[in-house]
Amino acid sequence: MIDQPTTCGFCSCGCALYVEPADGRVAALCPSASHPVSSGRLCIKGWNATPAVLGAARLLTPLVRKGKDLEPASWAEAIAFTESAIMRASSGSGANGVGVIGSAKITNEECYSLVKLARGVIQTPNVDGACRFYDASIIPSLRETVGGAAPRLELNSLAGAGSMLIVGANVMEQLAHVGSRIQDAAENGCAIVVADPRVSRLAPQASLFLHPRPGTDLAWVRALLKTIIDRGLFVDGAAQIPGFEELRRSLADVTMGAAAEASGVSTDDIAHAAATLAEHPSVVVMFGLGVLQQPGSTRLVKALADVAILLGGTVLPLRGQNNAQGSCDVGLLHDMLPGYDPLADAMARRKWESLWRCRLPLVPGMNAVDEIRACGSGELKALLVFGENVALSAPDTDTSLEALDKVDFLAVADLYLTETAQRADVVFPACSFLEKDGTFTNIEGRVQRVRKMFEPLGESKSDLEIIAALSSALGTAMVTDPRSVMAEIAANVPAYKDVSYEALDKDWAPPGAAGGAGARLAPVPAGGATEDPEYPFRLIASRINYHQQTLTMSARSAVLAREYPEAFAELSEGDSARLGLKPGRPIRISSRSGSLVRTLMLSDAIPSRCVHVPHFFGGNSPNALSSYESDPVSGVPTYKASAVKIEAVK
Amino acid sequence: MTAAKAFILMKSNAPAFFESVARDTRLIAPKRRFGGDVIFDVVASPKEIAWDYGHDIYPPKRFLLPHYEDMFRYRAGKEIGIEDLAHPPKQAIIGIRSCDVMAIRFQEKFFSAQIVDPYYAARSRNTVLFSLVCNRPPKKECFCICCDTGPYLNADYDVQLTDLGDRFLYEIGSDKGRLAGERGAPLLKPAAPGDLAERKRIELAADSLFDTTAYFAKALNFISYDEVPDAIWEDLGSTCFRCGACTNLCPICTCYTVDDRAHEDGSFVRCRSWDSCQFSGFTRETSGHNPRPTFGSRVQRRFYHKVSYQYVQRDGTHGCAGCGRCVSACLTNLGVPSVLKRIRRSMHDYLEPRDKAAKV
Repeated sequence: MIDQPTTCGFCSCGCALYVEPADGRVAALCPSASHPVSSGRLCIKGWNATPAVLGAARLLTPLVRKGKDLEPASWAEAIAFTESAIMRASSGSGANGVGVIGSAKITNEECYSLVKLARGVIQTPNVDGACRFYDASIIPSLRETVGGAAPRLELNSLAGAGSMLIVGANVMEQLAHVGSRIQDAAENGCAIVVADPRVSRLAPQASLFLHPRPGTDLAWVRALLKTIIDRGLFVDGAAQIPGFEELRRSLADVTMGAAAEASGVSTDDIAHAAATLAEHPSVVVMFGLGVLQQPGSTRLVKALADVAILLGGTVLPLRGQNNAQGSCDVGLLHDMLPGYDPLADAMARRKWESLWRCRLPLVPGMNAVDEIRACGSGELKALLVFGENVALSAPDTDTSLEALDKVDFLAVADLYLTETAQRADVVFPACSFLEKDGTFTNIEGRVQRVRKMFEPLGESKSDLEIIAALSSALGTAMVTDPRSVMAEIAANVPAYKDVSYEALDKDWAPPGAAGGAGARLAPVPAGGATEDPEYPFRLIASRINYHQQTLTMSARSAVLAREYPEAFAELSEGDSARLGLKPGRPIRISSRSGSLVRTLMLSDAIPSRCVHVPHFFGGNSPNALSSYESDPVSGVPTYKASAVKIEAVK
Repeated sequence: MTAAKAFILMKSNAPAFFESVARDTRLIAPKRRFGGDVIFDVVASPKEIAWDYGHDIYPPKRFLLPHYEDMFRYRAGKEIGIEDLAHPPKQAIIGIRSCDVMAIRFQEKFFSAQIVDPYYAARSRNTVLFSLVCNRPPKKECFCICCDTGPYLNADYDVQLTDLGDRFLYEIGSDKGRLAGERGAPLLKPAAPGDLAERKRIELAADSLFDTTAYFAKALNFISYDEVPDAIWEDLGSTCFRCGACTNLCPICTCYTVDDRAHEDGSFVRCRSWDSCQFSGFTRETSGHNPRPTFGSRVQRRFYHKVSYQYVQRDGTHGCAGCGRCVSACLTNLGVPSVLKRIRRSMHDYLEPRDKAAKV
């Protein structure tokens, strides 16, 4: 067994685990007992991390499209092919014709180098991360309210919380170590208020469970804010926090009855929630993708941050991916530079221009969602994708697939021949987190060491090596040693100034120091989804225990893949009977954007006029039902709460 | 125990002694890792053995039933063939706790009853255990005292070591144990009556130092006669995180799955790996029917195997060694002692519902 542990590459909890390699596979794996998060425990994905990333279908050589088919090629050929495609795409419309999308699964060093490749070497403004498909709305909303997008809570402190408000998060299934601490807290008497359209696995812990209709959270959260303010439930001094008056005025139109009507949460429950949270300090407000992928997500996150600020509590955004935090921290964002320096900030721009020896644009380029769209419109000529299966994570699957088919040149770096890679002109075989060095930043801001457990399979290479090879082909040598890349990040990104591999070889990484400006309350005008009489059902898209993201990794493990062998959707018994549907039979679920077929199952966890469609059945994804309609501030598409209709498949 | 089988190994001589064992045998021992973690692993030298380790994470059962084990390679088609891939080395597991010794004895019996598992049998034949008495429970979750598997053994060990300060009491319990120590025999001195008295004193003291208790007797009745209502099992199942750690890290659990990996040369390698009765896919039948369809029913299955007369009769003992790993590895509270305690309490409420508010 390798003496030093590595960091799990599944979720943002960031467990430390030990691995024993044997002939390109793993012979043994166990958690660290002394690590502050894993503390001797792993979730099912952690236990099955190695078959997941070392599946038999791993890509072992580069592939280049010759005629119709992708054929094995040498690295030199694949890199040269890509280099000439980038040059070609840059010659007509300038580098603006090139788009780059990175991943929240690759290391900080890789994300940073990818930004450098895009902005400094290719000189395109169009670079963004996978956060755009998931949780990017926390960045503008938390910067405006709690003063920054950096984590400010240690998971081990959750057990001591007085109360919690948990909104739109399937936390027990997706972030097991957070869920475990919530159970500990409940046992210690913590009052837990949960809001989720369906009965989630948080139910046994909840002192109050609210079931708002999908897409209507803003209505009841505004009513909650109004109750807190009107009844004076806020902590001493809250009225002096900047923005208090603006917030109060922005809630002037709220009436409890209308909020209850819109959301389906009763006025009593809203009042009860406000009183429970106010009576049990300290409050922790958590929210997951149910909030972050809802219509108007930025505004909703601000509203939840306001709740925390008014009650003197803390915000814990439940970001799912292993390096969701770090990828943003090091600048994998279309509108910001590393360390969240806005592009509009002339000083920051000059700093990065001199470091990267390039010119930076004054205004943001396309975000990841726009990049996919621009592939379809012809605005982008070339797209480079590192480690994100955009074919399935982008909204409106049919339109997105068409766009990816249409773009002149698509290069993809991934472990497997994903739905995105199948459409590529060049595929780079990337190696997994077990085969490379680097760091991931977890949900608490710990910048943790990822250690190479064995040599990359076949000819696969780390994303950092692939990025550096492309950079040199384009005429700029780039550092390929992760340690030196981290030194450059540490020297230039204030929040990472103390990070060094030397320190990480001695002890576990400390949690991030929450810096940033002081709290500010944001005004919360009304908003939310509207009803569509032709599509009377609301979509509840969820993630299930055994899988993550678009299944790229988790489907490779036999143990994970067998738990749900059939793609299903759940309805309440009443709705099913009303529509004359039969359980066990296929149903078609359609929205204005697309449709999919699933096997019907009945569930008493699903409220009326809602349908639950879990992710993780490959191309059969609820994303097919979403549209390109996005949150106007963050650009995150509305994947949740889509209006749908349901019919039997004849 | 006859005095002739009890010796003294001075701690200063321990490295030389185990060097002599290592001449034809790989040494497996508790090894310190990052941040104070201890994991049983192959050690290059006896100097690496963390004799004073508290508790370890990953049971040494993996050296007999590997977490992932390539069993054989086969080739279909014209050049049909099969090649054995398991070549277990001779190995000595040093510093293993009494509970883990008893767990291995359980597995040895299980894998040789009815059909002999040749992979397990070969590894077990090649393994000698130098167990270490727990002078005190190494962690608060330990409850071997309730399972009759520790903190020391009166039988079933190959060699049992007791830490007496500057020396180990070295007791030989099997021929395998005797043979493994033959080369180092000059370093062993006969034990004096005082050493044996000291061992007895440690035993008696250790017995009273346990925090955790497991209510086996009561739960055994309820579970064996299937008296625990489904609602209690489902209540327990509702908090489960479905991670499978309880069975992965249980030193007794034996379940595995197999998986064939295709290789570039057209051959396939059959690998077996630990599996868990806590997964739906473990019991689902080809028809789609699942005899254990709910989380609660799978928790029930686990406890039926751990704590029921039916299995005690078959296996000769509980399916639990009291090592406490299912407690420390559980993301919630489904370790053996807390479940037995909850069953005991819930059954009282269920049988005599006095006060509904006093729910467990």
